[in-house]
Amino acid sequence: MAGPFVLIVIVAGAYLAAHWAFEWLGTRYLIVSGAEYLVLGILLGPRVSGVLQVSVLDGFAPLMVLAIGWIGASVGSTFYVPQVVRSYGAAYRVAFVEALLALAATATFLTGALAWIYQLPLADTVAPAVALGAIATVSSPAGVAMLRRRLVRRGVVVRQIEVTTAIDAFVAIIAFSLLLCIEHSAPATGPRAPTPTEWAVISVAIGCVGGSLFHLFVGNERDIDRLFISIAGAVILVSGAAAYLRVSPLLPAMLLGAMLGNTRRNRSEIRQALSRVQRPLYFVLLVFAGAAWDPGTIAWWILPALVFVVVRAVAKLGAARLAALFNGLTDSLGRRWGRALLGQGGLAIAIALNYQLFHGTMLLPDVVFTAAIVSVVLTDLSSARFVQSVVGRYTQPVLDAETPVEPSSALQAERK
Amino acid sequence: MRRLVILALLYLGVQLMLPLGEQGHGSEALVTFGFLILAAYTVGELTVRLGLPKIVGYLFAGMAFGPSALSAVTATAIGRLAPVSELAIALIAFMAGAELRWSDLRVSGSKLVRMLGCELLLSLLGIAGLLVALRHWIPFLVDVPGAKFAAFVLLFSSIAIAHSPSVTVALLAETGARGTVAKSTLGIVLLSDVAVVLLFTMSQTLARAIAPPAGVVALPSPAVVVWEIAGSLLVGGAVGLIVTLYLRFVQRELMLFTILVTLFGASLAQATHVEVLLTLMTAGFVAENVSHSERSEAMRTALERSAAPVFVVFFALAGAQIDIREVVSMLPIVLPIGIVRALAIWLGIRIGARWTRAEVVERRYVWMGLVSQAGVAIGLVTLVSSLYPEAGASMRTLLLSLIAVNQIAGPVLFRRALVRSGEIDNPVAPDAVSRPAPAMSLQ
Repeated sequence: MAGPFVLIVIVAGAYLAAHWAFEWLGTRYLIVSGAEYLVLGILLGPRVSGVLQVSVLDGFAPLMVLAIGWIGASVGSTFYVPQVVRSYGAAYRVAFVEALLALAATATFLTGALAWIYQLPLADTVAPAVALGAIATVSSPAGVAMLRRRLVRRGVVVRQIEVTTAIDAFVAIIAFSLLLCIEHSAPATGPRAPTPTEWAVISVAIGCVGGSLFHLFVGNERDIDRLFISIAGAVILVSGAAAYLRVSPLLPAMLLGAMLGNTRRNRSEIRQALSRVQRPLYFVLLVFAGAAWDPGTIAWWILPALVFVVVRAVAKLGAARLAALFNGLTDSLGRRWGRALLGQGGLAIAIALNYQLFHGTMLLPDVVFTAAIVSVVLTDLSSARFVQSVVGRYTQPVLDAETPVEPSSALQAERK
Repeated sequence: MRRLVILALLYLGVQLMLPLGEQGHGSEALVTFGFLILAAYTVGELTVRLGLPKIVGYLFAGMAFGPSALSAVTATAIGRLAPVSELAIALIAFMAGAELRWSDLRVSGSKLVRMLGCELLLSLLGIAGLLVALRHWIPFLVDVPGAKFAAFVLLFSSIAIAHSPSVTVALLAETGARGTVAKSTLGIVLLSDVAVVLLFTMSQTLARAIAPPAGVVALPSPAVVVWEIAGSLLVGGAVGLIVTLYLRFVQRELMLFTILVTLFGASLAQATHVEVLLTLMTAGFVAENVSHSERSEAMRTALERSAAPVFVVFFALAGAQIDIREVVSMLPIVLPIGIVRALAIWLGIRIGARWTRAEVVERRYVWMGLVSQAGVAIGLVTLVSSLYPEAGASMRTLLLSLIAVNQIAGPVLFRRALVRSGEIDNPVAPDAVSRPAPAMSLQ
C-alpha cells in the first residue's frame, strides 16, 4: 500500500487512541493532553518506525512554519490591552521579574555547561544557551486553564499564574526572536547585509505593518467564516514572510495577533477564528516536531537534556520565589508558587523547532531541540497537577473573572 | 476599495521583501499563498457587488496574480501548493456526496439519468462534429491519418463534455439556493461524473485499439474499467461507513476529522486504483444517508465551516494555473467549441426535460448550471497527454483553454439561472459565502 495511506491510517488511529486515552486520563487524573502527540511523532519518525520519512517532513515544512506562526498569533491575541490595564501592576512586575530571572539564570548556566560538556569556547555556546533559556522561560497555560474550568472562583494565585504564563510567553518570544536577529545569516543578494538591529526592526515591522494593514483589512467584519479566511491569509503571509527572511515567525505573528486581538468590535470573533484551527495545527506541530527529532547517540544528548530539565526547574522555582519576594507578595503567593510554572507546552516546542529549522550558523540545534522535547514530555502531562499543588494550598479570595485582583495587603498599601 | 488599496500595499511589500530573503522550508510558497488567499478574498467580495459569483472573483484573482500576469505567485510556489489543491478538491467531492439523499434520488433518479443521457449524447456528437468540421484549423488534427483522427476526436469529445461538481457545490454553498433548478443541476452534475469517467474509459480503450500509442502501453482490460467504477463505490462506501461509525461513537473534532478522512479516502483510492472523486462522493453520500439525521447535520455543519476557505484556495490556485496568453491565442478555436457545447447542453436538457415531463424551470434553466468545467476534465486531459505525447500537448492546451473559458462563464450562467428561476432572493447578498446551505434535496 502507498506510504501516505499507511501514514494517514496510523496517524488517524493514533490520534483517536491518544484523544480518548488522554481525555479519560485528563478527566480523572488532571493530565494535560499534548505531549502524547510528541511521543507519537517520535514513534512515527525516521528514528523509530520510519513511517514519516525525512522527505515527507521536508514537504510539510511550510505547515510547520505556519503552525509556529499560528502559535505566535494565538499568544499575541491574549494580550487585550483594556484587560491588561485593569490588572494590578504588581502582577506584571512579578511576572516580568520571574521571566527575566529564569531566562538569565538558565542561559548563563547552560552557556558554561554546554561549553564544558562539548568542549567548546564559551562564545560558541551562548546562542544555544539563550535559545534554551527562552525555551525554559515558557510555562504552559494549559494546566491552569484545565484547573480553572473546575474552579468556580478565581483567586490571587490563579490570576498571578495566568499573568505569568502570558508574560513568560512574551519574554520567551522576544528573547528568541532577538537571538535569531543577532545570529542571522546574511542573504546572498543585496549591497550589504542588514545589521542585527535592522533585522530586529524588520521583524517588528512585519508584525506591526501586517497587523495595521490587516486590522484595516478585517474592518468590522463579524462573520466567522470570512474572518477566518482573512486571518488565515494574514497569519500565513506574515509567517511566510518572516520565514523567508529567516527571522522567527513567532514575533511578527505575536504582534499581528496582539493588534488584531485588540480590535474593539469584533475581538471575540477574531479570537474564535484564530482558535478554529489552533488545536489541529498544534497537534500537527507536535507530531512533526516529534518526527523531526534526531538527536544522534544517547551519550550525545542525555546529559545536556537532563541538565536542562534540572536547571530549568531550579531557575523557575527560584525566579518565582525571588520575584514574589522583591515585590512583597510572598505571603499572598506563597514560597512555592513557581511550581505552577513548571509545565511546558506547545510554545516551547515551537521555539525549539524554529531554532532547528532556521539555525543557520548556530551550534547544537539538535541538543536544543532534544532538551526541549525531553522537558515537554516530562513536564507537560503534569502541568495541571503542578498548578493544583499550588492553588490547593492557599485560600482563594472570592473574585469574579473580570474583577481586578487585590492580591495582598502590600498591594493595597501601594494603592493608598 | 479599502481592501484593494491594502492589497496593493501588500503586493508592493512582498515585492520589496523578495530580494532580502532566500528560499527554504517552502517559505516563498507560504508568502505567496497567504497573499493569494487575501487577493482572492478581496476580488471575490468585489465580484459579488457586480452581481457575479465569488468563485469567478477567486479565479480572476488567481489569473491576475498568477505566473502568466503579475507573477506574485510563481509556478514553483503553485507546484509546492499542489497538495493543498488536491485536498481541496477531495473535500469538495466529499461535500458534494453529502448533499445527496437516497430518498430523493429514488424519486428523481430516473428523470435525472434520462436528462443527463440526452445532454451528454448531444454534447458528444456536437463537439465531435465540430472537430471534424474544423479539422484543418486544429493543430492536433491536421494531417493525422484516419484511425488516429477518430481516436483523437473521440478522446477530446469525451473530455469536453465533462461538468464541474466543484463549481456547482461552491456556487450552491455561496448562494444557499436549494430550489428545483439547484437540486436537479447538482444531481445531474454528480451523476455525470460517473458517466464521464465510464465514457472516457471506454473511449480510451477504443482509441488504443484503433490507434495504438507509441511505446508499450497495456490496454486496460474490462475488469480494470469495471473495478475503477465499482471499486470506487466499494471503497467510498467503506470510508463512508467509517465516517458513520465516527459520527455515532465519537463526534468530536469534526472539522479535523473531515479533513483527515478526505485525505484518507484519497490515499485509499490511489492505493486501490479507483477513481478518487467518485470514491469521496460515495463516502459523503453513504455518511449522509446511513448516519442519524442529527449526526449527519453536525458533519455537514463542520464541512460548511471549512467550505469557504477551501473554495478560496481551490479556485484561486485553479485561476493561477490558467495561462492567459495561451487561452487568448486559442480563443478562435475555443469559442466555437464552447458555443456548440453550450447549445448541445441546452438542447439535450430541453429534450430530456420534455421526455421526463420535468418542471418548466428545469427545462429552461438547468442547462445553465452544466456549462462549468474543472477538476475531472483537467485530470482526464493529463491522462491523454501522457498517452499520446505527440498530439497530447496540443490537445491539452486546447482543452485547458476550453476549460478555462467554461470555468469563468459557467458560474456566471449558473448564478443567472438561479436568479431567473427565483431561487436566490438577493443576487448580490454580501454574506453569501457564509450562508449555510442545507442538504440538497432532489425532490
